Amino acid sequence: MAHYKILGQDPYWMNFYGLMILTLIEVLAVGADLNGVAESLGTEEKVITLWILTIIAIPKFIMIAAIFMHLYGDEDSGILTLTALFPAFFILIMVLFVGLTHPNAASSLPDWCRPGNYGL
Amino acid sequence: MSAGFAAFLFTLAAAFEWGDFIGWTEVPLILASLGVVFFGLLIWWRQDWSYGVDGKDSKHLWEPKSAGSPFQNIDIRKVALWMFLMSEMMVFTSLFSTYMRYRFGIPNCMTVFESGEWVEGTAVTCFEPAAHLIASSWFHIAPGAINTFALIISSFTIVQALRYAKMKDIEEDVRKRKVMRYLGTTWVLAILFLTLKMIEWFIGFPTPGPLTDLNHGHSEIASLYAEGYTINADSYQHYAYDTMYHDGKDIPKDSALYTMLQEGTHPGGQMMANIQVSATTFYVTTGTHGAHVLGGIIGLTYMTLKAARGGYTPDNAVSIEYFGLYWHFVDLVWVLVFPFFYLY
Amino acid sequence: MRISRKKRLLIGLVLVISMLAMPSAQSLPGGISGVQESGCNCHGAVPSDSVAGSIEGLPDSYNYSEVYNLTLSFEGGPSQPGNVNQGGFHLWASEGELSILDATTQLYNANEVGHTEAGNDQTSWDVIWTAPATDRNVEFVLHVNSVNGNADGAGGGTSGDMWSKVSVSLGGPIEILEAADPFVVLGVLILVTFSLLVITLAYVFYRKDPDSFDWDNFSPWLADWLTTTDHKKIGTLYFVAGLFFLGVGGIMAMIIRIQLSVPGNDFLTQDQYNQFFTLHGTTMIFLAAMPMINGFANWMIPLQLGAADLALPRINAMSFWLQPFAALLIFTGVFSGHGADTGWTGYAPYSVSEATHSGTTMWAAGQILLVASSTLTGINFLTTMAVMRAPGMGWMQMPLFSWSILVANVMLFLSIPAFGVGLIQVYLDRVIGTAFYDIAAGGDPLLWSHLFWYFGHPEVYVVIVPSFGIISEVIATSSRRSVFGYRSMVYALAGIGVVAFIVYGHHMFTSGMSPTLRFVTMLTTMLVAVPTGIKIFNWLMTMHGGSLVYRTHTLWALGFLVTFTLGGISGMFFPSIAMDTHLHESYFVVAHFHYVLVGGTVFGFFAGIYYWWPKATGKMLSEKLGVLHFLTAFVSYNALFWPMHRLGVWGMTRRHHTYFVTTEEALGSLPMEAAGWNMFITVSGFIFFFSNFILVFNMIVTSIRGQDAPDDPWGGWSFEWMTSSPPPAHTQYKLSDGTWGLPTLEDANEHIANEPGVMGRWFQRLMVSDEESEGASN
Repeated sequence: MAHYKILGQDPYWMNFYGLMILTLIEVLAVGADLNGVAESLGTEEKVITLWILTIIAIPKFIMIAAIFMHLYGDEDSGILTLTALFPAFFILIMVLFVGLTHPNAASSLPDWCRPGNYGL
Repeated sequence: MSAGFAAFLFTLAAAFEWGDFIGWTEVPLILASLGVVFFGLLIWWRQDWSYGVDGKDSKHLWEPKSAGSPFQNIDIRKVALWMFLMSEMMVFTSLFSTYMRYRFGIPNCMTVFESGEWVEGTAVTCFEPAAHLIASSWFHIAPGAINTFALIISSFTIVQALRYAKMKDIEEDVRKRKVMRYLGTTWVLAILFLTLKMIEWFIGFPTPGPLTDLNHGHSEIASLYAEGYTINADSYQHYAYDTMYHDGKDIPKDSALYTMLQEGTHPGGQMMANIQVSATTFYVTTGTHGAHVLGGIIGLTYMTLKAARGGYTPDNAVSIEYFGLYWHFVDLVWVLVFPFFYLY
Repeated sequence: MRISRKKRLLIGLVLVISMLAMPSAQSLPGGISGVQESGCNCHGAVPSDSVAGSIEGLPDSYNYSEVYNLTLSFEGGPSQPGNVNQGGFHLWASEGELSILDATTQLYNANEVGHTEAGNDQTSWDVIWTAPATDRNVEFVLHVNSVNGNADGAGGGTSGDMWSKVSVSLGGPIEILEAADPFVVLGVLILVTFSLLVITLAYVFYRKDPDSFDWDNFSPWLADWLTTTDHKKIGTLYFVAGLFFLGVGGIMAMIIRIQLSVPGNDFLTQDQYNQFFTLHGTTMIFLAAMPMINGFANWMIPLQLGAADLALPRINAMSFWLQPFAALLIFTGVFSGHGADTGWTGYAPYSVSEATHSGTTMWAAGQILLVASSTLTGINFLTTMAVMRAPGMGWMQMPLFSWSILVANVMLFLSIPAFGVGLIQVYLDRVIGTAFYDIAAGGDPLLWSHLFWYFGHPEVYVVIVPSFGIISEVIATSSRRSVFGYRSMVYALAGIGVVAFIVYGHHMFTSGMSPTLRFVTMLTTMLVAVPTGIKIFNWLMTMHGGSLVYRTHTLWALGFLVTFTLGGISGMFFPSIAMDTHLHESYFVVAHFHYVLVGGTVFGFFAGIYYWWPKATGKMLSEKLGVLHFLTAFVSYNALFWPMHRLGVWGMTRRHHTYFVTTEEALGSLPMEAAGWNMFITVSGFIFFFSNFILVFNMIVTSIRGQDAPDDPWGGWSFEWMTSSPPPAHTQYKLSDGTWGLPTLEDANEHIANEPGVMGRWFQRLMVSDEESEGASN
């Protein structure tokens, strides 16, 4: 149970409002025409959208975990947060090794790794 | 107790066996196996049913506490639930890794289309994110967006249920009513979530008349299934991948396809794509999340019923908290699934 | 009376078996006398060397019901061209039907044929033989006469004539070995093992109370075992299941070895061989090793932590009962010959192709259940170890076996979801046609390898790490001192646990994975040797500083040290990418992982069984039988796997159902010696297989008439020796003041607790010890 307040208000309600607003921003970000912004930054609209979505997902994630799941403000919060963060390393490894190694690795070896390039 | 318990174990395992044994044509056997699982679940629940009702068993209310550091004085069940969530994290990480691997490894359909490296009538293998369909119009995105809000609200209501269940200084009746209402709301929202998902996947819905213009002139939002976005879609065709669509105005001027069309080296037409992998990752990842919601609904059904007879008091409100932890986790996963599968 | 009836039954059974085993008695019906009666009477009394008869036209092995033209002829003897008569013959065939072609021969019956008067003047005759329609061994006996044609008697002269006899035996077609269909063999053996298990169960119950041996008493007893949530009973169930499948996996290994004993063998077809090695791997890892680990953990973790039971007893029972049903699913299809044939790794895209047997779907389904089981087990043990340690027992006071189970479960628990998701993907691909591994649709088979080995590599550490724990306990107790370098042992274990997740790429060096990842995993794999080396040297130092007592479990621990180190050294060949590319898929790999899995894991289990058996059952095992078991098993084990290194370097490939030897230096074939070594391996394999029955025999004999075990037979110090042998259902410990209850750890590892290193201080900040937290709250 929460033993604290956000801006003097009930934390669950505040958290709820916050989440709603952030989700709304997400939906708007996808719907809005961001071509102008993208061009001014020299990239594509998709990339801008992806960045916005990722950046907004992080606070949402933290808000749910910290306030709704009581990982903040309770006496047992510290150790349970550590428990919850324990798999982080393994998740990172999996995303790096499984998610981000290119499937076409064999046919797209870098030059220095190809036969006939020993002499450089 | 042990007799009912054994029945549960045996039947659950047996049911799994049969559930796997049969083909998809043998629905009665699947139903029978599900019935066996459900029977086992009932037996398990039966032991909890009157636990804490009317303060009858109040002296038996006993939540085992942790003895050793660093979890000293934390409920064992809570620790166990967090352990369980650890493995759930890995499950979804695996699914996301699969998705990322394919998303980054297979060329995007739009990229392929604009590169002009295709001819009409021959399917090319490319990655077509569901978001391309879903985010193409406000109506398409509506079920997913409503679902997002539904889950967040349900996360909130279950926390409220916990708060009232734990509140010591309110009357028994008020607590009973509040807890039941909040749990019931959560249940309704969860059902809404799955219903909208089915609409989005399989059913589709009509768009209100005055707004059809916003929907590219179509009077109906087709389901993903009707759009041809299925796991066996080896010759998927989408209007956006047609050089004639909007008279080709959507083709970027700096793309290779545009140049080729201008020079006449590309005959134009509609690209055909093999998008089985994209559809598979979409349906299985969101489907796994849906299965978790379904599991939550089964638990919620029981808890709502128990709350209706005043089963939750400050003494045993932790049950709601532990279910809530699971439910928030499902919400958390959706926070990630929604942007990366529905929006991007 | 019952016993005498049993005896009669037994004698009857033995008689039936011996009658079946006796060769069917058959003799030559006509014989020489028949030949004489047919006209060629008395052509000499004794057979002559100078006459050589022959049967031409017989194949090496016949085809069913095929018709063969036989040419019977002879050379030598007094027969001369131009003689009035030249000779005669008599042919007897044990099976099939003989018939005649022309007037020179005559048919006595379907089995006998001879010459006629008209055929008297020839040295060669033609007859027809129709092969039997079933598989038989056929004997042919040919008598030939060589005659000089002199007519000094009414019946024809016989003086100076000579005769001889030729015997030829003939086998049926190659498929005749189908009569001993390996699946039937396996099925029968599994059924026999299972029946023995049931009989043992009934017998155990009978022994408990011979007077109440009836169903009314039996059913509650059985129901109690089936529905128990007691960690000790579930541990025993895990053991029964684990040992049962160890036997089944062993039988499969023996059938594989029969197939490989000689080059070009056809005992198993390629198809059957694929299923056998698939199920051998799956059974041994998932259905034998894992349940045995869980058996040890179930029994010993609560006892070592000073707890009454596990944290979640019902979840515990559920994770056990998922296993038998998973096993059923995995074995589905074996008896009809359609078992999984993908190898235990189940590599995509073959595992999702239609070329595989339908059993593969069930194999995946069964493994999904095992994943669920392991997840529940993981939750249970991690929670137990986190929350139920006795007061005073911090992380750094936990016995090393508990630590090893903790590390193993962390690894298993965090890695198995990847496997589960991979299996679900395969299952969905196979059942509803999703396209995860559909190459035509752009699916990536390497994804399966990644997901599988992300789980698979931690998994092989999961099965070895508990053995480390057992060996640590056994060596420390047998050396009569605390283990050397406890703290470094714990860090080494934890290090292995973490490194396990970043080395898995070395299984995929030849698969065309990302070159960067290949390089990274090469380095990290070499790193594994460091914590493992620390452990080995710590064990050696423990023995060095202590005074070793040689008991059976000590011997197994020493055997473990030897074989595991050898296996570890052969393992260090693989991280090097170039070396791995050379040795990949060869028997060198087979030798390596059997050296660590059998020599490491199984030897560790044996040490654990001998070590904790008295505690669990209250009976001492026979040391004599134990030493005999160790000696035979250790010698035959090394004879079994050591030559495989050599075969691997010669180029013998794994997963192939047969091999060929040649004297030439040809690509893809083995030198002549390989055949001999393979036969040697097979023989050693059988000795190893049967040597383990000494353990089973030991268990049975000592539980009937063994000595009662004291509470602490070996002088161990951890909590499990403080309770009675066997411990009561809700464990009570004998406390220092003589009462019984749950213990508190006092003054344990004082010197260790007081000397934190750099890492230790960092850890201590994370894990507040009891004293400090109490001080804070006071």
